[in-house]
Amino acid sequence: MTVAVALLVTAGLMGVLAPRQLLRLVTRGADPLVPLLAWLASAVSVVTTSALAVTLLLLPDHGTDALALAHECWSSLEHGMAPRVEATGGVIGLVLLTGLLIRLAVLSVKGARHRARRRRDHLAALRVAARREPGSPSTLWLDHDEPLAFSLAGTPGVVVATEGLNRRLTDEQVHAVLAHERAHLDGRHHLLVAAGDALSTLLPFLPLFRRTPGVVRELVEVAADAAAVRACGVETVRTALLGVSGHRAPGSALAMGRDSVEVRLALLAHTHRRPDSARSLLAYGTACVTALTVPVITAFAGLLAVILVACH
Amino acid sequence: MHGLGELEAAVMDVLWRAPGPVKVRDVLDRLDTGRQLAYTTVLTVLDNLHRKGWAQRELVGKAYHYEATTSRAEAAANAVRELVNASGDPDGVLLHFARSASEHETELLRKALPKRSRKT
Repeated sequence: MTVAVALLVTAGLMGVLAPRQLLRLVTRGADPLVPLLAWLASAVSVVTTSALAVTLLLLPDHGTDALALAHECWSSLEHGMAPRVEATGGVIGLVLLTGLLIRLAVLSVKGARHRARRRRDHLAALRVAARREPGSPSTLWLDHDEPLAFSLAGTPGVVVATEGLNRRLTDEQVHAVLAHERAHLDGRHHLLVAAGDALSTLLPFLPLFRRTPGVVRELVEVAADAAAVRACGVETVRTALLGVSGHRAPGSALAMGRDSVEVRLALLAHTHRRPDSARSLLAYGTACVTALTVPVITAFAGLLAVILVACH
Repeated sequence: MHGLGELEAAVMDVLWRAPGPVKVRDVLDRLDTGRQLAYTTVLTVLDNLHRKGWAQRELVGKAYHYEATTSRAEAAANAVRELVNASGDPDGVLLHFARSASEHETELLRKALPKRSRKT
């Protein structure tokens, strides 16, 4: 019982406290993917820790074997809750979690189908209306005066750009915008966005889950900016971003807020180093493993501390 | 399937370049796809384009004359409008270069920035 409660408490705490700590990572490292992966792993970790907790409730010995050394003390900490109550709690928890996971699976499959259909519709219209510039990925140019750029997911994905970019930006700046969009496709950012959206439906009452969709969208932009900076330099990306966000028709739904531009420009300054691949793989792995193990370690450390204090 | 889509684009290109409504035979003559196409293939493509609303037709004598429903610029503007609307969708199939972040997320990231750069 106590172990299960400790695990549930740390999972809950993680769901509330992790967002602020994770966002601090954005400005520390060269690679915005580290906080992004750590964020997703933290969300998964909250779910697995909760699952572990309810499973422990159902086990006959409640996982107390793990702390057999502190057994005597342990029994004094147990509040003598009837085993039946624990088992009922475990069953309810397990049913709830299983239900949520099944819902997640159903929503993911539906979402994937929906996205495939949307993609086909977009491509059907673009194929006729746009000029195709072959490449990997290919770029579809639309003859339109507003400077806009999109990336459309898929295998292969495509970059969609308007001639307005060529009219209002220098070649270098256009290159930076296209590098940004290609980074979305190369990094499979659309999948990360979809995964974040799906995860957020699991436990929306925790900030870690509720904020996932917005944060993932922000961080993939930061990651794509970083890739564009590596290809074209900070100054070019900076002026390209200002050029594109400044030439928006007033009142347009897409007018990028001044604050959003400022934050992205400020983050650009932190992302000029080129991460070498071995080191970034290590960083991704460390971020995920840390996020996955933190709640369990904290729960047991907390329990040990309680035992030490209470039984000394 | 992909090939048919390319053909549709090529045929629309012919319609957009033409000064007025054109016959199927004229479209076939003006198509420059690098391979010889059958009359019926072009007829099918034009029929598809008409069904999808890209082209309109008028019966003149015994043959249909085809023309584009919108100008090339209008078609591009429509495609842009569709993309702009879709970039607000939560389905994440499309990412927009200068997407406007919600104030909430902007604030979160701003807080993550070191104090020095917050002021600038």
